[in-house]
Amino acid sequence: MRPHPLLTLLLLPLVPLTSRAMDARLGTSGPEHEVLYLWSGDQVRRLADGFAHLLADVYWLRTVQYFGSHVAEANSLALLRPLVEITTRLDPRMEIAYRYGATFLAEPAPSGAGDPRGAIAVLERGVENLPASWRLRQDLALFHYFFLGDARTAARILLEGVALPGAPPVLKTLAAEVLGTRGELQTARRLWQRIYEEAEPGAMQDNAALHIAQIDALDALDSLRRALQSLRARTGRWPSSLEELRRTGLVRGSLADPSGVPFEYNPGTGEVSIAPTSILWRRSLAQVNR
Amino acid sequence: MAGGLSRMLAVASNTFRETVRERVLYNLVFFAIVMTLSGLLLGQLSVRQDEKIIKDIGLASMDLFGTLIAIFVGVGLVSKEIDRRSLFPLLAKPVTRDEFLLGKFAGLVFTLAVNVGVMAAGLYLTLLATRRHLDLALLEAVYTILLGLALTISLALLFSVFTSAALASVCTVSVVVAGRFSDVVQHMHEAAPGAPSWLVQALYYALPNFHHLDLKDHVVYGDPVGLPALAALTAYTAVYLAVVLGVALAAFRSRELS
Repeated sequence: MRPHPLLTLLLLPLVPLTSRAMDARLGTSGPEHEVLYLWSGDQVRRLADGFAHLLADVYWLRTVQYFGSHVAEANSLALLRPLVEITTRLDPRMEIAYRYGATFLAEPAPSGAGDPRGAIAVLERGVENLPASWRLRQDLALFHYFFLGDARTAARILLEGVALPGAPPVLKTLAAEVLGTRGELQTARRLWQRIYEEAEPGAMQDNAALHIAQIDALDALDSLRRALQSLRARTGRWPSSLEELRRTGLVRGSLADPSGVPFEYNPGTGEVSIAPTSILWRRSLAQVNR
Repeated sequence: MAGGLSRMLAVASNTFRETVRERVLYNLVFFAIVMTLSGLLLGQLSVRQDEKIIKDIGLASMDLFGTLIAIFVGVGLVSKEIDRRSLFPLLAKPVTRDEFLLGKFAGLVFTLAVNVGVMAAGLYLTLLATRRHLDLALLEAVYTILLGLALTISLALLFSVFTSAALASVCTVSVVVAGRFSDVVQHMHEAAPGAPSWLVQALYYALPNFHHLDLKDHVVYGDPVGLPALAALTAYTAVYLAVVLGVALAAFRSRELS
């Protein structure tokens, strides 16, 4: 007896039907959480020897996608560091993975994983694997300065970078600046400006632009605070609003931060700050704000 | 001598036609799809790494597809002729077993050379289409991939002379994978200090050194390889091939065909 081909076609729709009935009886499985099955680049390398760079590319694409989707949805970035480490273990010469990976890691939430020490460890391994890269040294120095507040180490690394082939002489000037010949905000602005000019359009340039805007906002806040103090000294009270302050002529600039969100003002205490609704607001800046 | 060569070439050209008939070159369609998608999508997804990734994908595809074809077609070259009983009339003609085996080897090497050549052209076309640098140094890696594939075919033939196609596949895969780990084998005494150094050395020299033949990572980063290194790799492959094919020929000559 040979089954008619039509019978097979008729049976085909029964597969999802019986499957659904089975799910109804036994229950469906819950959503799978994103996991890393292998946590070490060396393991991955040994599993596919000869194709390590191809796998590094796969892990790099996964890192970028993971960061993009999780940052957009404000999810935890727990897998970011292992993903960056696996990528750079598989291809120790992928400079971009160290640089972008470190930026993704260092920035505080919601722009990054808030793990500056992890970012510095990634860059240090990058410097070890690519000793001729002045860009990695520049990033390492700036990360020491910005995220750990360690100007001395930053200046030392910048001076090491100057000696490398192709390094721009401006690294020497930056080294002098981080050691404190100018105000902190001016130095920070110069450094972020340098990162902005050097980066190609994309995540790193956007990040640098955000930092420059934050510094501009902090500068504007300083001017506002001085004007508020001066008005209080003159009238013995805080103005009822920032508009009132503007009408006195003590402030000429905008009353909003560079992203266009008005500064927050408390007429009771005279405190002025970046509004939490602004894209420029960061928890770490709250102290500077007040 | 000339007659022997022409008979061998006849077997080789038949082998090439047979592999093409068996749709072995269909993998090129898959390769074309992968390269087109890489060219279209990687620019947006990879953060300035598209050129490197396109090169990595292109070279890895040549290596991976080529190795799979070399193993799984290679082990069937002799056994299929025996199973179909097409070998017996062939050997009854003035075709020696040596000419038959070497012809089979040359035919599959030629198939894979065409395969790798078309893939290399596809890789350069993708680079051209995405306005990337047409890096001629990639050809150094393409050449050593071909050398590696010739070694793999010879191993597949050797095992297929001794045993069934299924077992020959397992043996060839094992030796090829072990050969890719020859750097680990060379330093095995660090992980296993008890292992006699003569054994480690013997194992290192016995296994085909696919690790050194893999120049993919070097050329993608523009490391200079140079003619002396390529000449050394060619000499190594030629000697190793001669030994493996020599053993395969000796075994095939003495094999009872029934």
